[in-house]
Amino acid sequence: MALSGIQIFKLTPKKNCKECGCPTCMAFSMKVAQGAKQLSDCPYMSEDALAQLAEATAPPMKTIKVGAGDSEHSLGGETVLYRHEKTFVNKTLYATNLCSCMDDAEIDARLERLPQVDYERIGERMYTEFLNVNYKEGTDAAKYVEIAKKAAAVRPVILSVKDEAVAKAALDAVKDTKPVLNGADASNYEAFCKLAADAGVVLGVSGKDLDELYDTTAALEKLGNKNLILDVTMDTAKATFEAAVQVRRAALKDGDRTFGYPSIVNVNRLTDDKTMQEALVATFTMKYGSIVIVDEMDYAMALPLYGLRQNLFTDPQKPMKVAPGIYPMNGADENSVCLTTVDFALTYFLVSGELERSGVPCNLVISDAGGLSVLTAWAAGKLSATSVATFFQENVESKIKNRTLIIPGKVAVLKGDIEAKLPGWKVIVAPLEAVQLVKFLKDLKANGEI
Amino acid sequence: MPFNRKAHKFSASIGTVEIGTGDKAIKLGGENVMPFYTFDGSMGDGPKVGVEITDLGLDAEPQGVKDYYAGCTSFADIAKKAEAMPGGDFVVLRLAGGDPNGANKSTEELVAIAKEVSDAISCPLVVEGSKNVEKDAELLPKVAQALEGKNVLLMSAKEENYKAIGAAAALAYNQKVGAESAVDINLAKQLNVVMTQLGVSAQSIVMNTGSAAAGYGFDYTISTFDRVRAAALGQDDKMLQMPIITPVASETWSVKESTAEESDAPEFWGPVEERGIAMEVETAVACLVSASDAVILKHPKSVATISEFIKSLM
Amino acid sequence: MTLLDVIFAGNDAVYGLTEKAIDDAIAKYGEDKAVSFPSTAYSLPCYYAVTGTKVTNLKELKEALGVVKTLMTREPRLHDGFMSGIATALCAEFIEVLKYIDNPTPYEAPCAGHLPDAAIRELGVPLVTGDIPGVPVIIGKAPTAEEGAAIVKEYQAQGQLVTLVGDIIDQCAEQGVKMGANVRVIPLGKDITSVIHVVSVAIRAALIFGNIKPGDAAGLMEYTKQRVPAFVDAFAPLNEVIVACGAGAIALGFPVITNEETFSVPKSLIVQKDVSKFVATSNEARGIKIKITKIDIPVSFGSAFEGEIIRRGDMQVEFDGSRVDCVELVQMKDLSEIEDHKIELIGPDIDEMEVGSKQQIAYVVEVAGKSMQADFEPVFERKFHSYLNCIEGIMHTGQRDMIRLRISKEAYNAGFRLKHIGEVLYAQIKNEFDAVVDKCQVKIYTIPEDCTKIRHEIAVPTFDKRDERLATMTDEKVDVYYSCIMCQAFSPSHVCVVTPERLGLCGAVSWFDAKATHELDPSGPCQVVTKEKPIDERIGEYEDVNEVVKKLSQGALEEVSLYSIMEKPMTSCGCFECICGIEPFSNGVCIANREYAGTTPLGMTFSELASMTGGGVQTPGFMGHGKHFIASKKFMKAEGGIGRIVWMPKELKDQVADALNKTAKELYGIDNFTDMIADETVTTDPEELVAFLTEKGHPALSMDPMM
Repeated sequence: MALSGIQIFKLTPKKNCKECGCPTCMAFSMKVAQGAKQLSDCPYMSEDALAQLAEATAPPMKTIKVGAGDSEHSLGGETVLYRHEKTFVNKTLYATNLCSCMDDAEIDARLERLPQVDYERIGERMYTEFLNVNYKEGTDAAKYVEIAKKAAAVRPVILSVKDEAVAKAALDAVKDTKPVLNGADASNYEAFCKLAADAGVVLGVSGKDLDELYDTTAALEKLGNKNLILDVTMDTAKATFEAAVQVRRAALKDGDRTFGYPSIVNVNRLTDDKTMQEALVATFTMKYGSIVIVDEMDYAMALPLYGLRQNLFTDPQKPMKVAPGIYPMNGADENSVCLTTVDFALTYFLVSGELERSGVPCNLVISDAGGLSVLTAWAAGKLSATSVATFFQENVESKIKNRTLIIPGKVAVLKGDIEAKLPGWKVIVAPLEAVQLVKFLKDLKANGEI
Repeated sequence: MPFNRKAHKFSASIGTVEIGTGDKAIKLGGENVMPFYTFDGSMGDGPKVGVEITDLGLDAEPQGVKDYYAGCTSFADIAKKAEAMPGGDFVVLRLAGGDPNGANKSTEELVAIAKEVSDAISCPLVVEGSKNVEKDAELLPKVAQALEGKNVLLMSAKEENYKAIGAAAALAYNQKVGAESAVDINLAKQLNVVMTQLGVSAQSIVMNTGSAAAGYGFDYTISTFDRVRAAALGQDDKMLQMPIITPVASETWSVKESTAEESDAPEFWGPVEERGIAMEVETAVACLVSASDAVILKHPKSVATISEFIKSLM
Repeated sequence: MTLLDVIFAGNDAVYGLTEKAIDDAIAKYGEDKAVSFPSTAYSLPCYYAVTGTKVTNLKELKEALGVVKTLMTREPRLHDGFMSGIATALCAEFIEVLKYIDNPTPYEAPCAGHLPDAAIRELGVPLVTGDIPGVPVIIGKAPTAEEGAAIVKEYQAQGQLVTLVGDIIDQCAEQGVKMGANVRVIPLGKDITSVIHVVSVAIRAALIFGNIKPGDAAGLMEYTKQRVPAFVDAFAPLNEVIVACGAGAIALGFPVITNEETFSVPKSLIVQKDVSKFVATSNEARGIKIKITKIDIPVSFGSAFEGEIIRRGDMQVEFDGSRVDCVELVQMKDLSEIEDHKIELIGPDIDEMEVGSKQQIAYVVEVAGKSMQADFEPVFERKFHSYLNCIEGIMHTGQRDMIRLRISKEAYNAGFRLKHIGEVLYAQIKNEFDAVVDKCQVKIYTIPEDCTKIRHEIAVPTFDKRDERLATMTDEKVDVYYSCIMCQAFSPSHVCVVTPERLGLCGAVSWFDAKATHELDPSGPCQVVTKEKPIDERIGEYEDVNEVVKKLSQGALEEVSLYSIMEKPMTSCGCFECICGIEPFSNGVCIANREYAGTTPLGMTFSELASMTGGGVQTPGFMGHGKHFIASKKFMKAEGGIGRIVWMPKELKDQVADALNKTAKELYGIDNFTDMIADETVTTDPEELVAFLTEKGHPALSMDPMM
């Protein structure tokens, strides 16, 4: 059970030394309770207190780091099963597949296509974070190492290999890039444990079923290795789904720390069909995959997937925001009418969608409203005649010549005030709901008002 | 020491709502676990897939949809073909043309189309309105009347028009009624409460707690799903135990990812149809693994994939 | 003769006629002759619904008459009167069904006679939804055809479904009233027995829409009473048969209104001598409320005009409460004191006022309703601002007796006059608060003496009384609290428990607001919370409160205390006005308000504190709350109360100083308590804070340790 800030505070030295970076011990304690600070950040915590707190504050699921330098990624560290309970911590990451069974041309083609899907969506970079380098038994080990090297040069890699010698060769070549060695199972875990420990990399564990996975993980922990990822991929989608859910739930709900590790799901092993891969990668994004491996990521798969992931992993209490600015729609230019609304992403998407549907060229002007919806922002004073007028004077008037502004119907009350504060502008009140915008704009256009 | 599986059982379950008649009737809901947690308990008959057609014909549809319905010259033809789509469990007729801000077709015309579609098929039928609350309040009761005896599901009754639609659909003509609310557990519950107070039985209500395309405010959709199910199963909240149906196609095929032609789209986006299918499939999956007991799709490839997906997890 | 005697006599007469009619029919056709109404699955709907038995032929009809006879007991009790009423209705149904033997259309246009099931399904929907607000059954002959037609047209204009029996049909025809189901005026038939066809509609509505099982007579009567808004307008003279039928109507819950000087039974048999008032009397008796779909004013109305500003040069006239006596007020009255929709202007209208002048005004909205409570008055009043601003060309600011109202020249030229203010207030109040307002009238005063008098002698004392009531309300004085879950959209597990002394943490929902929200929208965000099972009075924990919180938080929260910050404190959503947090070195708490951007002696700013406290999670030692709660005697009562407050931003301190000092005086006998409380101008450092408190002799320093 997590400790409250007060409980932690009681164990602090209470000297407000500020050495931890917090102005008071109270503030520090609250941050530890939230998970934003570590107990070890306090230089004066007594051994006794540390021991007392360690067990209670240890996370139910470990945070595992993969990759080196700028390419380092954190996995796991989750505390809840559903996003409304508390923000998810580390988003699902994706890997595409390379295999020693592919010829060089195919490998090169894949590596060439890899950076094509790399774009920004509401402030977040969307790309494939990992490469999975699969070793097919009986193929050339040297070739595998070569592929691993090529891959590790562009992305952190997952070495999916069960052959000890091949694994060692590959590790020797790329261990500095901090790959995942995904190959331990019931038959080889001792050797792989040593390999991973010697190379200082994360070890991936798999099993033919949940029991075997559990036993192998427990055995590895007994050997002292707690730097693990669980490859929960089973023979079928159904079994894999159960494994992904059971592992996460056992760790977070039932307090079973043996399963308290991030997971890998290799969708590529469950189906060859691309559309079914799309279905499954979405499934394991929703249901507890830390890394999901697909055959290859193209825009068709990526656009909905990254949107879904972004929605899933946002803080449910901090709405997504779009950047303030002028967003021209339907080929609008400086002579097109302006509409304004708030920077709450959902509002933006709804309104911009309807504006696009209307086909009327217009400039959607988004000002900073703290990421709140129209009425909430208005009530909180973040959307006011002053905020709109200031934004227009500072950012819009120099760029747009048109002097008609359409404001959200829900803040019709601002009309007079905006007109007073924004001389030269004609203010029109839009309907209450975004869906009514299409007709509204078309009517204004038809009447020659805009 | 093997893994100690702890089943997370609920004493409550999701209600069952039957739509359609005869051999092809289907049951929505009935599970007593979170979606596809078959290791915890029963998923009932499993989620179902609806095939959407509209009164607007095929002109604006993606090529793959047009190809599938090639040769159809009437709504009856289209309906028969929709019924035959591999993987579909029921047909959904969306009367989009009723929107006064759009084609503004008359109620009589739309009722006639609904009748034509209903007469052409033997599988269950869902009729969606125009989304305009005033028009739907007039239109859906007439559809309910015209299709008496077919046990169709009429979507959707909203806070503003639930009385007219609920009373006509469920009380006067013994149909089933969809209760639609805007991604908020309390609004969903309140609508069910007032519908029940109107006299509509819980066994006649299917919820649409809101939907969106993946990436488009879908966070609210997910959390509403999660919370509705937690309350229904965990708290035995009877007013949230109705099965959930989620229209997916109408959301996903209108976003720019699904509509921007390859020539207009950013570099590497690839063929528009593949993007549309992926958007439909990935959104549908996200709904199904969160809560939906039925999803409404339209592309044959999506329908086949999602149907296969459901089978593979059951 | 007593009323019961009349009913019994009427019942006996009809029974006799029915018996003879059936016997004659048997003699003519034989007892195997089939009897039925066309196009219904419910046999003889009334008899079937009451008894659960279907009648198919004359033999069974005769048997059924025997069953009817058993209802006709003759004890001098109300019950016997009702049963005889029902028996009369059933007899009428038997007589009517005989008309259909070998004749599918015994009724000719315009008379409808029996209505098919399909018509019930079609009419039932608007009935259930309230689109048909009522079903008047008009029987007999109006004093004049004009009066009769006027009544029918008035009901029709209200969207009611009018049914006609007897001479009124000819009177309407004579007056050219359009009749037919499509215009919602249905003439049933000339004979009094044809009234059964509307009873049949009500009863089949209960079977179809109410899912009432045939034979469940009690359930049937409950349904018709609650859900079928029918009533009878019976014109004098009444004979005993009509009275007996009326008893049947009353048994189904339908009141009877008549202009005959006869017995009256409260709420059931009402005498209204003036037929021009039949509609108002009938609607009131049946509790029918007519939705106002169009406000009768010469300018536009809508939220698009809410932000309109009317500048000095554009105004026709201004009512300015800062210079002269102006006031707006809602007053609850008795139902009998109010004439619905009466708008009265007492004094000169705008025409007689100098252009651009400052004038006085007092508008008093008087409301009445069976469920109305005086506590709702301020709730309605607060809406005036938005109502009046929605009028094109009107600008309203302020409230109570500090209002300012400007009317533009444009509005004036369009024909806007003061009575239109009354029209708007009337329409909006009736529509928005229809759950509690049955009748509403508006009085507008513009004579200076009147305004002064109303302001100082009526309004101000009312405001004072309300404020006093609010100030003296305590948690102990009320039986229930209210939950509020308006914020769950973004804070899923948060539940506010609103008590008189602890308003919602957003500061916007007082106990009265929550109460009004609940009464106006019983399935809405505010629900009743009982507090009958105390667990710990000290921290304010109750079993029943916990149950509600658990349910409304979907199990996320199991126990909550109302008066403690350390033990099971109430959760916070995110919209709190203030946060207080424990300051360990001074043994007290610091409070920060949303507007305060700086740091606090806790080492955290408001937004840092907010991120730790929000989200519907219990955070002992920290709590979100409204500004008004700071001066409450219940403020962290379990930990010793407001004496724990050691620091708050200066601006906030100034805002709450008066109230807080008053509470401190009462609780601890301390004068000017706020002088002992530090603020950012004193320090934001914990050590300096303790030094300051020590110097001031702050009570927190000597209280029990908080942790």
